[in-house]
Amino acid sequence: MSRLRRAAPASLAAVLLVTMPWWLGAVGGYTELATRIVVLGLAAMALNFLLGFTGVLSFGHAAYFGLGGYGAAMALKYLAPSDALAVAVGVAAGTVAAALIGALIVKLRGVYFAMVTIAFGQVFYFITFRWDSVTGGDDGLTGWSRLPLRLGPLALDVQHRDLAFYYFVLALFGIAAAVMGAVLRSPFGRTLLAIRENERRARFLGIPVERHLWLSFVISGGFASLAGALFALLNNFIDPRALRWDQSGNFVIMAVLGGMRSFWGPLVGAGIFVVLQDFVSSRTENWMSFVGLFFVLVVLFFPRGVLGVLRRRASA
Amino acid sequence: MNSLLAVDCVTQRFGQLVAVNEVSMLVAEGELRAVIGPNGAGKTTFFNLISGLFPPTSGRIYFDGKDITALPPQRRVALGIARTFQVTEIFPELTVRENLRIAVEVTGGHRLRLWLRRRAEGEIRARVDELLALGGLGGKADRLVGELSHGDQRTTEIMTSLALEPRLLLLDEPTAGMGDQETYAIAQLVRRLHRERGLTIVLVEHDMRVIFHLADRITVLSEGSMLAEGVPEEIGRNESVQTAYLGGAR
Amino acid sequence: MAQLVFFNVFNGLIVGAFYALMALGLSLILNLSGVINFAHGGFLAIAAYLAYTLIPHVGFWGGLLLAPPLTAALGLLIERFLIRRLYRRDPLYGLLLTFGLAYVFEDATRYLWGAQSLPYPIPASLTTPISSTYFFLTGYRVFMVFLVAAAVGALFLVLKRTRLGIRIRAGTHDLETVSVLGTNVRILRNLNFGLGIYLAGLAGVLAAGMLGLEPTIGSSLIMPSFVAIIVGGLGSLPGTLLGGLLIGVASGVTTVFFPSATEAVMYVMMGAVLLVRPHGLLGEPGRAQ
Repeated sequence: MSRLRRAAPASLAAVLLVTMPWWLGAVGGYTELATRIVVLGLAAMALNFLLGFTGVLSFGHAAYFGLGGYGAAMALKYLAPSDALAVAVGVAAGTVAAALIGALIVKLRGVYFAMVTIAFGQVFYFITFRWDSVTGGDDGLTGWSRLPLRLGPLALDVQHRDLAFYYFVLALFGIAAAVMGAVLRSPFGRTLLAIRENERRARFLGIPVERHLWLSFVISGGFASLAGALFALLNNFIDPRALRWDQSGNFVIMAVLGGMRSFWGPLVGAGIFVVLQDFVSSRTENWMSFVGLFFVLVVLFFPRGVLGVLRRRASA
Repeated sequence: MNSLLAVDCVTQRFGQLVAVNEVSMLVAEGELRAVIGPNGAGKTTFFNLISGLFPPTSGRIYFDGKDITALPPQRRVALGIARTFQVTEIFPELTVRENLRIAVEVTGGHRLRLWLRRRAEGEIRARVDELLALGGLGGKADRLVGELSHGDQRTTEIMTSLALEPRLLLLDEPTAGMGDQETYAIAQLVRRLHRERGLTIVLVEHDMRVIFHLADRITVLSEGSMLAEGVPEEIGRNESVQTAYLGGAR
Repeated sequence: MAQLVFFNVFNGLIVGAFYALMALGLSLILNLSGVINFAHGGFLAIAAYLAYTLIPHVGFWGGLLLAPPLTAALGLLIERFLIRRLYRRDPLYGLLLTFGLAYVFEDATRYLWGAQSLPYPIPASLTTPISSTYFFLTGYRVFMVFLVAAAVGALFLVLKRTRLGIRIRAGTHDLETVSVLGTNVRILRNLNFGLGIYLAGLAGVLAAGMLGLEPTIGSSLIMPSFVAIIVGGLGSLPGTLLGGLLIGVASGVTTVFFPSATEAVMYVMMGAVLLVRPHGLLGEPGRAQ
């Protein structure tokens, strides 16, 4: 029974994601939009690994997302023409940064933790902003692009075919989601739930809370940087805005909007957010006011998020 | 006799306030010790020192001959000290089974595992079922702990502590805020753990019926200092204890 | 060279004073209400633009006098109708709500006053240099330093001497007891929020005279204010003041020797402080946990 309950949402998500380019196209979307939903959904799910399942709020995850993006872009521009290498470099860059920052902040809690993560996120923003000889500064890093994938005799032209790139992204997303889900169902994952539920009790069960928080932070930052690397490949471009604090805020609102206590919630939140953004910013210049009001309304009237509300309905 | 826990002249100051003043205590293996005293006697602070919530201002604490004065809580747990709290500390949005399972897994050394072998999985399940049965929680195993009655929550907390296979169990007012029936059930549980399993238990308690029913020996604290120690009969006759209690009541 | 260093130290001190003024307001709100007011920079910008609009009618001094309290009044309303609803919820929601408000404020200023930067009129008497050797010591800059010092002094006096201030400080330590002793916590938090916004407004009007007016003026000052609070230590207002001045001067000095690290240096300081003292220079150890 419990296995079935677990498998049902995952299968539903799989079916919806595999067919997304078609049904999104039918309602006026396009393939690139679908890819963006999956990429930002992965980032929001990575953040939610920490927020929803470990119980600490990072408001600076754009830093690891952006570092993943810059790592990938710079690998393609300066190192070698390989998408796989680019993704690997991006993930390594973001994960190492998360490991270093994480070590500095695991003793902090609550709003203080949030505030320090916000501030640290800005370090990387200023580095990319200022170091323009390497990063392109404010204008972003251009002069590179993703390349066709080659696996021996097989070739997949993700460079020119948007649909091929979508499935490449979706494959990596699937692996990432499977790994995160498996970790959360493992004994280690349960210690994270324990920390979320009651830190004092967790400590008095013999869990070294700081060490587990750090591990969770690194895992979360690692998957956020994978999303960032894919984001750079998607746009064939990356600029400092990808790691600024407003991007961090967007990830948090996606997680909350979709439902931060549910595994797939952030993906749903990302879908709503990305589609709205696409729709609204093509019609008005005041996208910022719109998104700001959106934040306020979600907080006031929809704090449990879509899947949180659905689940509550179902159990009631 | 061999003492499992030896508290040697510990003092805890909070600014000007001396919450615990040069208290010493020896608890033998297999003993059930009650710590009593009027409100503000420093019982809970004393407990926090033993369990490692914070280190004492001065004095030393030994467990099984090892100096544990400076060890953090999770290291003391690893040595075999488990505790419950006055305000029940549990994982409210997880089920009873999950609460116990986490404790069992951590105790089994699995806390960093990403998967379990079939055999380990079987052992963990069996152990959780055993604990559920022992606490009489079998029928509520898949309910969220936050939705249970006060008594069942407390029982869950005691069972998670027991899942750690402790050599010393510290219970901070296990029957606080409970009705007669719940109090009786908890008292019976503690008694079984002590008599049938030979578990060493130190308990802070207000309910005198519970104390005199359960304790092998009683330590009396008053205003942070040790007032008396002895078997229940001695303590019941002790005049300074009576004065302290009556004085405290007034 | 000596003059260049002096110039940048002085400049850093002024910038640090802005950071401190803004961070003190943030700190007041955070300590009493547990809300990180992300919209603090937005309030600052609104005060600056409000002063800009008022100056043609009431003059420079009138703008300086009127804009901060008007902004504080807006703050009182926002607290009363929005932020108050979130005190009992996870701090996440307060952060998200004020984050959204920051967006709205920035966009509103852009919509009302335009995206391009505007010159902020300063009285001629304040723009002339005081000495020819230290050409950068204009009357305005010196005046600003004095005014910030006076504002900070007044704030500490209010907190130490007045009924409101004493309650704010007591509430920061133990809100429950203050409430039991008969203080209306809702009103206390409301007024405290207004006081914090007043400080942001003052910082905004002063900053506009030095940096010029842009819709992003608020969001560019908010991050350093966070850093000031973290460096100085949570729960300590003198710490916040110290933190603001320290990072201001550090940025000023860095500008001389390593200009591209001007912004990064404060984050390096923050990392170093967290490594050695996780609760900040003057903070209370318990508060960070």
